[in-house]
Amino acid sequence: MRSTARWTGVGLITVGLLIGGCAPKTQNIDMHNDKEAEAVMGLDYRDFQTAAQEMIQSMITSGAVSKPGGGKYVLAVSNVVNDTMQHIDTDQLVKKMRVGLLKSGKVVVTTAVSAEGAEDKMAMKTRQELRGNEEFKQSTVAKKGQMIAPDLSLSGKIIQRNISIDRSTQQVEYYFQMTLTDINTGLATWEDEQVIGKRGSNKSVAW
Amino acid sequence: MRTNSAIIILSLLLLGGCAASSPEPKGDSVVNVIKQECGNNDIHIKDIKGRKKSDGFMQVQVIGESNSDKYQRLEYRIVWFDKQGFVIDTILSNWTVVPAYAHQPFHVNVISPSVKAKTFRIYIRNEKEIICDQQQDGLE
Repeated sequence: MRSTARWTGVGLITVGLLIGGCAPKTQNIDMHNDKEAEAVMGLDYRDFQTAAQEMIQSMITSGAVSKPGGGKYVLAVSNVVNDTMQHIDTDQLVKKMRVGLLKSGKVVVTTAVSAEGAEDKMAMKTRQELRGNEEFKQSTVAKKGQMIAPDLSLSGKIIQRNISIDRSTQQVEYYFQMTLTDINTGLATWEDEQVIGKRGSNKSVAW
Repeated sequence: MRTNSAIIILSLLLLGGCAASSPEPKGDSVVNVIKQECGNNDIHIKDIKGRKKSDGFMQVQVIGESNSDKYQRLEYRIVWFDKQGFVIDTILSNWTVVPAYAHQPFHVNVISPSVKAKTFRIYIRNEKEIICDQQQDGLE
């Protein structure tokens, strides 16, 4: 009886060691040189980086963010729709674009206006709740009529298409579509589309 | 990075700006043209030029030609510097693919990430060997 229990224990330890030994080692990714990593069928950080890079280049090159006579445009971020099968936070793309545009020196982004209300709720809340509140020195409270209305609006969509190549291969296409609209005229002053395509095993899941 | 993964480096430093008190140029102006040609048996870089645009951004254009019988996947990277020589941190300095088709010319056309960019340095690489390593400081 004791012998059986001992062998069971030895067996469990051996299996545990084998499983542990086979598991891939966790390691930090070198985000600046990640070429050796296999591509994945879904969207990963490299895809968002590439898309954002191309979009910023395209937008600056077009001259759409260069204000005639100098100065900076005020940009509001509108809806960027995720029309893929993946759970994507579209800020993975939009934030990179915002940072790039802010650094260009030609655009500032408003957080007071967006398609879903104020992005920075606190900025609006402090105005509404502190104004007239005797607990606060009123000279330090944001004055009325100080906020700057946006000149431009950025909107877009990320689309996914799955195509079956043969029994074992599938192709997944991702379309990044962005539009910059002049709010005053309602005209789109810049538009672009970047396509990222992946081909791989049918067993890979792209969501 | 693998030791056998050689980098093709084509280095260029251009001075595109004037003194701080100088006004921005009213029209586009070519600030420099690199006349030295470089490359290897397969890839030949023929022309590199940069200009300061009227809206304050710098623009770089590279023209090369592939003498290879095969398609080559090249990559380029441009590091931008401000007028004091400090690197401008930007997503636009990441490696970017440029296709070089067999026996055809290829072009790289890039805009600076900021109006603060005054100089730049460009690197071009493939996966096999160094074809060019060149640096130039200042205007010609």
